[in-house]
Amino acid sequence: MRVMTRMRNGNQLDTAAELLSLLGDTDTEERRDAQLDALALAVAADLPVLLWGEPGIGKTAGLTQLAADLGLPLTTVIASVHEPSDFAGLPVVGDDPAVHGVPMAPPDWAVRLAAAGRGLLFLDELSTAPPAVQAALLRLVLERRVGALTLPPGVRIVAAANPRGSAADGWELSPPLANRFVHLQWTHDAAVVVRGLGGVWPRAVLPRLDRARLREAVAYARRAVQTFLTARPGLVHRMPGADQARGGAWPSPRSWDMALRLIAFGTAAGTSREVLSMLVRGAVGDGPGLELLAGLDRLDLPDPETLLADPVGTPLPERGDLRQAVLDGVISAVRDRPERERWDAAWSLLARAAETGPPDLVVVPATTLAALRREEWDVPALIDRLAGTVALSRRAVAA
Amino acid sequence: MDLEKLYAARLHAARERPYLAAALFALHVVESPATPTMAVDRHWRCYVSPAFVDRRTVRDLAGVWVHEVSHLLRDHHGRGDAYAAEHGVDGPGERLRMNIAADAEINDDVYDTALPMPRDAVRPDSLGLRSGQVMEYYLRRFTLGARTQPFAWLDCGSGADGGARPWDLGPDGAHGLTKEERDAVRFRVAHGIAGAPGDAPDGWKRWAERVFHPPQPWRALLGNALRSAASAAGAGEDYTYRRPGRRATSLPGVVLPALRRSPPSVCVVVDTSGSVSDAELGSALLEVTAIGRALGGRRDLVTVMSCDARVATVGRLCRAEDIPLAGGGGTDMREGFAAALRRRPDVVVMLTDGQTPWPSVRPAARTVVGLFPRPSEEWVATPPWARVVRIG
Repeated sequence: MRVMTRMRNGNQLDTAAELLSLLGDTDTEERRDAQLDALALAVAADLPVLLWGEPGIGKTAGLTQLAADLGLPLTTVIASVHEPSDFAGLPVVGDDPAVHGVPMAPPDWAVRLAAAGRGLLFLDELSTAPPAVQAALLRLVLERRVGALTLPPGVRIVAAANPRGSAADGWELSPPLANRFVHLQWTHDAAVVVRGLGGVWPRAVLPRLDRARLREAVAYARRAVQTFLTARPGLVHRMPGADQARGGAWPSPRSWDMALRLIAFGTAAGTSREVLSMLVRGAVGDGPGLELLAGLDRLDLPDPETLLADPVGTPLPERGDLRQAVLDGVISAVRDRPERERWDAAWSLLARAAETGPPDLVVVPATTLAALRREEWDVPALIDRLAGTVALSRRAVAA
Repeated sequence: MDLEKLYAARLHAARERPYLAAALFALHVVESPATPTMAVDRHWRCYVSPAFVDRRTVRDLAGVWVHEVSHLLRDHHGRGDAYAAEHGVDGPGERLRMNIAADAEINDDVYDTALPMPRDAVRPDSLGLRSGQVMEYYLRRFTLGARTQPFAWLDCGSGADGGARPWDLGPDGAHGLTKEERDAVRFRVAHGIAGAPGDAPDGWKRWAERVFHPPQPWRALLGNALRSAASAAGAGEDYTYRRPGRRATSLPGVVLPALRRSPPSVCVVVDTSGSVSDAELGSALLEVTAIGRALGGRRDLVTVMSCDARVATVGRLCRAEDIPLAGGGGTDMREGFAAALRRRPDVVVMLTDGQTPWPSVRPAARTVVGLFPRPSEEWVATPPWARVVRIG
């Protein structure tokens, strides 16, 4: 009789295992995921990353993918279930503490990581741990030390925290600590989750650093940050004010250095502007990050002198507002050095702009350029190509 | 479609509103007979009905250009989605309400003699509401009915309320702006207004100030101040050497810390000197006590003292919340302060309108001051040792 029962139960568990394997049988499809790209680049750049995300939205899943892609073993440590001595090291008393001191023994996972020499360490739920545990953890993240053991450089560390809601039990990082992290906001895409529950999960395609672009990337990043901070020296160091979001990124020489490193990595990987924006804003904060990116946009626009040298062949940006910015730049360049050839080149550029895009944004540059005319300069023949623009301008004035 | 007329209108708009020029030129025109008038989507495409262009003058069209670009700059689609998620409402009717509310936010300072207001434009007063407010304010205060019937045809597109439209080209269509590019355009416009605020109306100046530095809600700030004051050393849940940890048994001769809770005691001093309204006081008091509780303060560790004769609100609230109410002093907050310190709290929270003298020396407890909004010239400067949060 007892044998019968065991048989039946055993079968039950086998059936359950079968059902579980059916449930686990999912397809994947390739998909670019901006936040995972940003995380991958920040980890590659060896900067301490802090993921801000609500519980249960797949932070661990993202890290698993990242670890697989980088070929690193993933170790997850949930901070809130540990004691401070787990991260600060456990004191081991030897024969004569007065002579040898008391070594702080690291926990086994740290020893394994150090022995392997490489790995991805994920510290989850930083914000729900008691303050002393957080302090010990931050030492691990920022100094890479667990007790007496220093983790080798091949180990990359990512921490995660739950954002402080408006709830009464929120969590705030002090400004000095917040400044040492790259902050990435982790959100979920409802459509992706729904599709995943239907059996098709995305497989991230992570950015690849291009060996041929390394030098260029470093030069570009240095030029970008240098140009920007020369124009805005006030942003080199600005502590968050009393009524701003504290616990987030803010600009300081340290975080600008991180931003520079991230721009170099993003450029070497040829990543999208969106990913670059996440990284830079995560290092120096939203306002300064956006300003720097606006500066990058200007760096990426064709140089006015190049356009004046070859007004027919140099490509113009498609987007109206960028095109307007380029034309304004060209007109300023002509105003700074008014010469006949440059003036003519600017006209042919304007004619080209009026024919290849919305004509209304050519009107103001054309009016300014006409005002720069010297007595001895003849009106170029191609002015007829701007006739449509002139008519349009008249209609606007008559309005 | 009479593109020349449409572009002439855009040029007129850019001349009249130079601070919006970059945003106007960033819009990409899509000819769309299915659209009733002119509509935008969240990717900064502008769908235009050819018949609409023929019907309106260049000046009218210029006004519409500015109106539509305002929807995008002010992120009405994102805010509409947020409102829908927060209140659990969605559907064509609700999205129409969002479009109407968004129009009411824009229209009170977009038009003037150079850009005349269309006869059929939504104004706050056509909803019976006061102008100068934001979309979320209007959304809470009107329903669809006879008053809104004239606006049933209104459609500024998915960029104005977040609801999808049949003519939208979607995120993968040509000439759409990514989120990053949209932020960059917004930033450029805001930066231009902040740098040369000469001729921009006040509504736009306020927008430029806040678009990338949104003011923190006072509840969050008050919570932060209180938390950081209460979770400092010696309060809350943390490790302490006052008693050995349970692991110490296996390590003779080594003292390990143990996790202990010493809940913080919070003392709230309320200024009830007449100039603070009951509603203000009630909301702030509830917030503070809720945070105090969440910090692990037991009921007996949150006390409230009132610092005046008029204690109706405080008394009522304390009875409802079961908080011990301690007696108050005069109208001088220094007396309330001294009374609070006699109880040796970890944190003192002062809720006041700031029209009071302050103690001259730093008190023994951490201090958080909640200031009720008053014209700033009435404030006495707050002491440097207190963390100040402006409420409201």
